Amino acid sequence: MKKKKIIDSEIEKGDFASGGEVSSKLKSLLRKLGVNNTDIRRTSIITYELEMNLIIHSEGGRLKAYIDTEQISIVSDDKGPGIEDIDRAFEAGYSTATDDIRELGFGAGMGLNNVKRFSDDLEVESELGEYTKLKAIINIEK
Amino acid sequence: MSNKHSVLLKEDKCEGCTNCVKNCPTKAIRVHQGKATIKEDLCIDCAECIRTCQYHAKYAKTDDLEQLKNYDYNTALLAPSFYGQFDRKFNPDKIKKAVYKLGFDEVWDVAYAAEAVSKKTKQFLTKHKGTYISSSCPVIVRLISLLYPELIDNIVPFNSPVDLMADYVDKKIDKKNKDNYSIFFITPCPAKVTAIKNPLGRDKSNLTGAISVEKVYPKIMNIIKNNNLKNIKIKQKYQPFLGISWGQSGGENDILNDEGVIETLSVSGIHNIKKVLDELTRGNLKGIRYLELVACPTGCVGGIFNVSNPFQAKYNIKSNTRSKKDFIEQNLDDYNFKLDEKIKEIGAEKLDEDFVKAIDKLDKLEKLIESLPGLDCAACGAPDCETFAEDVVNGLAKKSDCIFVLRKEIGDLADKLSLLTHELPPVMNDKENNNKNNE
Repeated sequence: MKKKKIIDSEIEKGDFASGGEVSSKLKSLLRKLGVNNTDIRRTSIITYELEMNLIIHSEGGRLKAYIDTEQISIVSDDKGPGIEDIDRAFEAGYSTATDDIRELGFGAGMGLNNVKRFSDDLEVESELGEYTKLKAIINIEK
Repeated sequence: MSNKHSVLLKEDKCEGCTNCVKNCPTKAIRVHQGKATIKEDLCIDCAECIRTCQYHAKYAKTDDLEQLKNYDYNTALLAPSFYGQFDRKFNPDKIKKAVYKLGFDEVWDVAYAAEAVSKKTKQFLTKHKGTYISSSCPVIVRLISLLYPELIDNIVPFNSPVDLMADYVDKKIDKKNKDNYSIFFITPCPAKVTAIKNPLGRDKSNLTGAISVEKVYPKIMNIIKNNNLKNIKIKQKYQPFLGISWGQSGGENDILNDEGVIETLSVSGIHNIKKVLDELTRGNLKGIRYLELVACPTGCVGGIFNVSNPFQAKYNIKSNTRSKKDFIEQNLDDYNFKLDEKIKEIGAEKLDEDFVKAIDKLDKLEKLIESLPGLDCAACGAPDCETFAEDVVNGLAKKSDCIFVLRKEIGDLADKLSLLTHELPPVMNDKENNNKNNE
């Protein structure tokens, strides 16, 4: 079966008010498709983290989700600023968030770490000053 | 009529407005042929529709005091919130005595079991990591099993205080001599009625039935006014004030949090609670160990069967329990906290059992949603365009039930008709027009 795109959303830099909307929408779609609860929970957490990353760290970008019988993939694609040290970015507690952001309760440095922890496979591609592309894969448990 | 639920419709009173449809937290109501219908699978008995309906077309079915005569021995269980219905200086003993006078042989406080649950929950939270949700509000348990099944494991796996108390009393009753006995709950809300008929996480309830607070309140006021209650002896010597504080939102948490060790959050009002559960699903609310979630605004005192203003009732309980710090002495082993079975997912949201077919329906759904106006006007009888589209895809509604779609279809048809009227069969000449032009 061909992968079906079920989410394709533009996410703006700094748009905290919409944070979580994509994650909720995806959850509702996965419920309609009868995906099991464990994978729905994992997908919700990953999507939310990627969504907030776009809002907090990026210059804006797109979040897409695809599904087929085997897996769910979530793709985050942004217009920069790129990740300087990809390995460090995945360390728990590492964050480049400013104090302003931390005061809002974000920027604990768990975002990408969570994405990695909850996904079965993760591809990252980034060029400093250009873009970051992340693809998280969730294998659907039958 | 529903066997599963207690929130029901009075058809003759329904005017077919869509206020309840729009306010239903689980999108369980549709208006078809001018009458509201409640979808059984989706109803969680939260009573929001009863609160919203200005025509009083929604009601909840409960038992009556008349039923006491069917039994030789009657027991009443009082909810913590019940005391909020009386003066802020209420005396639980006096109120309990008045309940005896209604025709009960024994009267018990659910607050005893509430205190036991508080103790048990404290123990549980020290042994288990993560965020847990109180299991005491049956609406919330049902909401989670319907819309947030991914959070079922976050519900504290204990019976609710009412069930625990019913089990406790049932065990205590001398069944050899009193085999025809009853245990009635004086209930502030319809969801507790449903939990008797259709329990979650249990095989069955030990409650015989539930009688609404509004049915007993006037009688109790009369009894208190006109009777000398001194001769009535009550079984329990101590008043479970800590347990009574559970009757208003925050009460349960205040007990857990008394030493400032367990981080808690109380939220009441079902629409607020959905937002909190959304956050929990996203992996937020870290650091909070316990969520006291009660569907009715201000807590159980906000239940629709209560008589007093919910805020007044909350105040009554708070002001009378504030200085109380001690639990009633009791043995936790007297209660069977453990649920009979894991709380099951209600699972009513799937488009199709088969994944490929579900994807196919999702395709249709997306296209349909795009062709709808997106005004969420509810004139079709569904709460919003998305839900309407789902009904259409599931064969429960017609696309032309949308007045905008219908108007467009009629418009297109009219255009086509007017075009067709100018089309004449080739053998005919357009004489009429020619004549007119020559005049």
